[in-house]
Amino acid sequence: MTDTAILDNPLRAGLRLGRAPEPCTMVIFGATGDLTSRKLVPALYNLAREHRLPAGFSVVGFARRDWSDDYFRQELLDGINANSRSGAADPALWESFAQGISYHRSDFTNPEGYASLAERLNQIDEQRGTGGNRVFYLATPPDSYHDIIQNLGTHGLNHAPGNGWTRIIVEKPFGHDLESARALNQQLLSVFSEDQIYRIDHYLGKETVQNILVFRFGNGIFEPIWSRRYVDHVQITVAESIGVEDRGGYYDHSGATRDMIQNHLMQLLSLVAMEPPVAYDANAVRDEKVKVMRAIQPIAPEQLDNCTVRGQYTAGSVAGKPVQGYHSEKGVTPDSHTETYVALKLAIESWRWAGVPFYLRTGKCLPRRVSEIAVQFKAAPLMLFANGPTSDIEANALSIKIQPDEGITLKFNSKVPGQASQIRPVTMDFRYGTSFGVASPEAYERLLLDCLVGDGTLFTRRDEVETSWALLTPLLQAWQAGQGQPPQPYEAGTWGPHAADELLARDGRAWRRL
Amino acid sequence: MTLTSPNPVDIAAIERELTQLWKEAAEPGTTNHAVTRALTLNLVAVAPDSFSANRMTEVVMGLTRTHPNRTILVTANPAGPESRMEAWVQANCQLVAPGAPQVCGEQVSIEASGASVAQVPSLVLSLLVPELPVVLWWPGHSPFESPLFQRAQSLVDRVIVDSADFAHPERDLRRMAELNQSSTYVMSDLNWARLTLWRELVAQFFDSRGLLPHLFRLDKVVIDYERDPRQPANRAQALLLAGWLASRLGWTPLDNSVSLEGDLVRIHMRRPAPTVGPQAMRLVTIELHPAPVVEDSMDSLAAVRLSATDGVQASFVVERTDDPACARTKADLAGMTPIARIVRATQREETDLLATELRLLSRDRTFDETLRMAGVFARGM
Ligand SMILES: NC(=O)c1ccc[n+]([C@@H]2O[C@H](COP(=O)([O-])OP(=O)(O)OC[C@H]3O[C@@H](n4cnc5c(N)ncnc54)[C@H](OP(=O)(O)O)[C@@H]3O)[C@@H](O)[C@H]2O)c1
Repeated sequence: MTDTAILDNPLRAGLRLGRAPEPCTMVIFGATGDLTSRKLVPALYNLAREHRLPAGFSVVGFARRDWSDDYFRQELLDGINANSRSGAADPALWESFAQGISYHRSDFTNPEGYASLAERLNQIDEQRGTGGNRVFYLATPPDSYHDIIQNLGTHGLNHAPGNGWTRIIVEKPFGHDLESARALNQQLLSVFSEDQIYRIDHYLGKETVQNILVFRFGNGIFEPIWSRRYVDHVQITVAESIGVEDRGGYYDHSGATRDMIQNHLMQLLSLVAMEPPVAYDANAVRDEKVKVMRAIQPIAPEQLDNCTVRGQYTAGSVAGKPVQGYHSEKGVTPDSHTETYVALKLAIESWRWAGVPFYLRTGKCLPRRVSEIAVQFKAAPLMLFANGPTSDIEANALSIKIQPDEGITLKFNSKVPGQASQIRPVTMDFRYGTSFGVASPEAYERLLLDCLVGDGTLFTRRDEVETSWALLTPLLQAWQAGQGQPPQPYEAGTWGPHAADELLARDGRAWRRL
Repeated sequence: MTLTSPNPVDIAAIERELTQLWKEAAEPGTTNHAVTRALTLNLVAVAPDSFSANRMTEVVMGLTRTHPNRTILVTANPAGPESRMEAWVQANCQLVAPGAPQVCGEQVSIEASGASVAQVPSLVLSLLVPELPVVLWWPGHSPFESPLFQRAQSLVDRVIVDSADFAHPERDLRRMAELNQSSTYVMSDLNWARLTLWRELVAQFFDSRGLLPHLFRLDKVVIDYERDPRQPANRAQALLLAGWLASRLGWTPLDNSVSLEGDLVRIHMRRPAPTVGPQAMRLVTIELHPAPVVEDSMDSLAAVRLSATDGVQASFVVERTDDPACARTKADLAGMTPIARIVRATQREETDLLATELRLLSRDRTFDETLRMAGVFARGM
């Protein structure tokens, strides 16, 4: 939130583009990888296209392959042409943008690579006016983090020369369990300070996710009903239609809880359930998120089968295409117990939420790719209308859709026109695309820009990551030790195992049909 | 459907007609899509002639996506021989995404001529949707001189004009600056919205901590504006850009600050002291230079060059390239490698400009200060 250049530059007053970063260099570790060409560089290009990046903005790609600057640029250009939301790159713009891009070949473990990187960065500062400002992006497999962080530290790259700033962006996964997440935090904090560290969770870059706070705290009518008094329960769904694809080897050591719940679903839960922050700034918002996460009751070992369900997909078909079972995927051990689906029932011990269950589910090879948060309200206390028992009338539900279309829907009951008093649920729909007539920027665009201007609100703080792992690690350990039901098979292309339906049916509830 | 009535136009009939329109639109079978009626504001649009009225209807339709509204489109010809008034209604619907409901606004068109023009303000007043802001959009060459404008002023929350259309740019700019200071409504100029990219690109130079100090050392600004020899010069946009720089940087005009040599305009100003001492007071010159007209360019400016010539030489240039959809920016500081780049600079549709202005709800202080300064320059011309 603090950027002195913007405060001091009198020409910034009233400019509608708002925040603009200072010239800087972004060093991407793992620059020959998939994330760089598919997400990062298209996002940077679109920011430049929309005049969001300063002249002189530079990119240094760091990886092992023997590539030239030109070859690297061509790969990135191909990546933009294939993946950018604005379509193929404009040749003149690309040419100008590419002048700031170079490739630095080295192994992450080789100290000389960092010494020459430091020199390269100083050169860029001189030639392109980047003023010592740097962002390091760790777009690498997590087992490389240690070497990179340590080398950045030993080569003094954790502090910029002059009055420049240095920031570091860390991709997911952030640790494997509480212990490894703590170790990674400790290592990061031995080299960088917390306000230099940006732990990315791309869900937070999505427009509707940010809108949760605006929706809750920018409107007077929702907050008063946002509690146990009116809310029956909350459902959070993040469904993927794809399987493990070519990441089987990685996924088999991870599973749905680590891959999705620990980060994305816990983030969504904390935004829906948190108390109002004292201010909309990085620390005030994150303080409240941590507080609510801390209030989640840990699942006791004897409660495992009451509160959790794991699943594993078997052969089936998704959207008309045949899919092989998890055990036949490449890189997966044939007797693997890794869950590709998980459903949890969580309780938040707070004045606001006591007695309101939060049901979370996520899985692979489900029928559709869809993410939503649904707040299910209590039914009307009394059935006034003579068209049958109360249970026939649906309770109000507010759903916040995150994927694929971003929007908010409120379902309520209305009278069917005519003489008889018939009641039917109708929905009130708000869709991002329709209401604002503009395409929402990609999550990475928003997050990269936030980091460049030094706003950490949408990044995960140390205590958030650790609190989330602290909650889930005992679960993972219990499963590992063979406690609870093993993952239940579910056919690919269905909404998960039956046990997951029973998890809600026991409470007299059901998953929403999405 | 046209409601032509001898005098006066029947308001109740117009409202009935609107209701009927929505009913038909919502009936299954009429369209494949559900229809959402949504109104966020009253837009009173005044067209200088019926040709413009058609173009403005197009613009309003495009606006439905982001700002569905009730438009009251007035085409008034006070000089017309017979006293006549006609009104008709239509729904403006936009399909925003395939399968999504259409979003619709509504439009009442009024054509008046002769003595009937005097009745237009009261008719408009009775057609406004209550509790929604009223915006008067008045493109065209001389909005402020019209008696209709004078009457309409009291009804509105906001007035949007386009100084690129002004018949007497200096006079009208001055008038606009006066009105903006005295009026209760908010004044907007689409020509100012066109300047956003220029302002953004100029401002970006000085987001760099190393270059920021040079902003306060500037002593010369040259703005190249398009000059069509077949028409009277319109330097409104150049004057706004100059006014923006001067007001942001605290420059004050000297007495008799403006001089003209044909199409070349010079404005002499004083810059506040970066330091105290003998060097404290500094002069700044802003020059407006004529440049050839380029088809399809985004607006009527060709370049802006800022420089500091006293001491360390520094220059900052934003200019159009041969490709009208691109601009080049260049920062050049003695002893440093110059930093240049190409950026996208495409023409913005009128709908988009209007939408940008409508998005801003309150007064734009930066525009107010800019306009006041531009008014001062215009007074000297
Ligand atoms: N891909 C995605 O969509 C996505 C989404 C969310 C998060 N992530 C996370 O982002 C990170 C990167 O993902 P990715 O898919 O881009 O990985 P990837 O395609 O496997 O790329 C790995 C990169 O790291 C480099 N690398 C690995 N070991 C190296 C070493 N010892 N020395 C130098 N370079 C080395 C590789 O360079 P060479 O090949 O040249 O050796 C390559 O550029 C991971 O943490 C992943 O979990 C990815």
